[in-house]
Amino acid sequence: MTARTIAGEFGSDGMIRVEASGKEGHLASESTRDGRNSKSVALSAFAGEVSTEQAKTPLISIKDLTVGFPSYGKTTKRAVNGVSLDIPRGEVVGLVGESGSGKSTLARAMMGMVPPPGIVEGGIVSLDGLDLSTLNEKQMRAIRGRDLSMMVPNPRSELNPLLTVGRQISNVAHEHLGISRKQAEAKAMEMLRSVRISDAERRFNAYPHELSGGMAQRVIIAIALICSPRFIISDDATSGLDVTVQAQVLELMSTLVRDRGASMLFITRDIGIAAHFCNRVAVMYAGEIVEIADTQSFFERPAHPYSVMLLSAFLHNPALRAKWTKKADDLSGAAPLSGGCPFRFRCVRARERCAVEHPKLSRFRPRHDVRCHFPVGTPS
Amino acid sequence: MTSLLEVNDMSMAFPLAGSKKVVQAVNAVSFTLNKGETLSLVGESGSGKTTIGRCVLGLIEPTDGTVTFDGARMGGNRTIRSPSLRGRLQLVFQEPAESLDPRVRVGRTIAEPLRAQKLNRADRDKRVLEIARRVGLPDSALDAFPAELSAGQQQRVGIGRAIVTRPELIVLDEPTSALDPTARAEIIDLLIRLQGELETAYLFISHDLSTVRYVSHRVAVLYLGMIVEESPAADLFAKPRHPYSIGLLSSVLLPDPKLKGRPRIELKGEIPSPIDLPKGCFLASRCPFADTHTINNMPPITTVERGHMVRCFKHKEIAEMDYTSDMFASFQAETKRVLSQGVEDN
Repeated sequence: MTARTIAGEFGSDGMIRVEASGKEGHLASESTRDGRNSKSVALSAFAGEVSTEQAKTPLISIKDLTVGFPSYGKTTKRAVNGVSLDIPRGEVVGLVGESGSGKSTLARAMMGMVPPPGIVEGGIVSLDGLDLSTLNEKQMRAIRGRDLSMMVPNPRSELNPLLTVGRQISNVAHEHLGISRKQAEAKAMEMLRSVRISDAERRFNAYPHELSGGMAQRVIIAIALICSPRFIISDDATSGLDVTVQAQVLELMSTLVRDRGASMLFITRDIGIAAHFCNRVAVMYAGEIVEIADTQSFFERPAHPYSVMLLSAFLHNPALRAKWTKKADDLSGAAPLSGGCPFRFRCVRARERCAVEHPKLSRFRPRHDVRCHFPVGTPS
Repeated sequence: MTSLLEVNDMSMAFPLAGSKKVVQAVNAVSFTLNKGETLSLVGESGSGKTTIGRCVLGLIEPTDGTVTFDGARMGGNRTIRSPSLRGRLQLVFQEPAESLDPRVRVGRTIAEPLRAQKLNRADRDKRVLEIARRVGLPDSALDAFPAELSAGQQQRVGIGRAIVTRPELIVLDEPTSALDPTARAEIIDLLIRLQGELETAYLFISHDLSTVRYVSHRVAVLYLGMIVEESPAADLFAKPRHPYSIGLLSSVLLPDPKLKGRPRIELKGEIPSPIDLPKGCFLASRCPFADTHTINNMPPITTVERGHMVRCFKHKEIAEMDYTSDMFASFQAETKRVLSQGVEDN
């Protein structure tokens, strides 16, 4: 489920015009951003003018989201387990954790694209107060790419190899903004320039295989941003890039996000990116958010033993690192979940209480929550 | 003392199908590597790191220059595959999962290089068990298939397979870049420990600078197949002299929000094509110090300090500007402070 799929879905025609007058209350205004014409504003029109009421509701609100992957003869594995997260306008939240912690599944669930056999077992994702689970697939498609968009890793495998870059970018604008092909192409060209692809006129007609990794990644960014979405998910979208290119791409993303007043969920394995690019950092382990805090507070006083372990991986001090690291005994590293704290098998601070009582996310410091019975920095 | 590995003026060009042009992947590279030492090759993708590694192992023959291992030239019938060298040179790959046969149990994978050494079965099994313990695999892992292991454990198998013959030189081609940071730290510790025990020389190919600083004795920075700076590791990070090294170092995002907004050189644009190499300094198109002289002339290699070589006309100018704050060192100090909080009550 990727940009290619998303772009493919935009191809089916006419869906944007559905319910142009449905959804009472959401069509407050005909005036839309970026000159969108009125018939295409169906589901994003509630962006029109921000009333005081709306300013209070977070742009994205996730409540108790749970995603399960059923398997034969075994219990369902919960990739995302009761996650709640509010992201206000203009905020960039970094989501970090090891592979398999549920970061990508969370992102897919927010887009309404959980890969089968996974199912959303419960919880709500709402965009500006609109519960996305109440929408049908057609309506969801109209939102994806326009209000919500997602950038994926491996840019080259996600682009359609048979279409030129310009075509792929302009398709999105043509379908979502209800503008003519010509206008969409002009907009795509403008977008290519704003992601600072050198020689944009020539690249516009290039096929994905003719681009370097860094350039292909910029095309993905152009596709994700062309409709000025209000919420962007980046799923490890910069990890395949060289450091110098990554620095450029991050700079670019933050400028574009800032200029357009969008919010972002930035998923990464690289806690270094989170430190420099995000307002808040959330740490995920075994499908749960185990710590969430303002970036400064997080790096100054990481409270969950898992967060500390993640940070200690960057420390060139094996003795001190060993004090924060414990290896799980079983081979796969995945511990069976039977109550208690799922991290206890790898936790250096685990006590009896951790085996019986599942910790709740609770306030550690101002704007700093942690899910641990014995957070670091408090006597255990 | 002669070095274990000597690479002299080595160049490698690949012909381009359908034209008379070539891809100049490596350009006049020279370096040496001693027993028990780690030399890291760092640079962006396309800088020729992996090609150098393959030339060193004799897997491809350089178009120019020589590779000498233990006093004799590599190439022809003297390669990693040839019987006389078998087991003395080894290679560890980037993608642990892809470099292991999914249908071969781990124990057999580790034993594979020993087959050529005609050990009897009991000795071989003993050796495999010893190696598995040494690389930190549980005994039960020997009967497992690669898919049953985590990525970190799979990479331990890859390393176990490499050290089982007690090689003198291991080429490690991005051994940690596919791993999570926690697994990466463990693998790096393992490699450092093994080097202490076995005195193996490592040619460590990586683009991950914070790992490189920790693991290497010396570092060579590559740009478009050319070494632009080579120096003892600590020196390079504290006093980089080439604009490209500075740009590379300042692009690294260390996990500490306070290390932001330092004076830095921003490298614009992308690496030029290795098919039509620039006439003068390779970095001129991206370098803020470039002028007509550097655009038209190739800078010579200059030794700025003992063991610290740089290929730049403006290195004196750059040395006078203050790029010397070692962000990596201050990060280590700060992280140590943060992680020492509360460590005593664990």
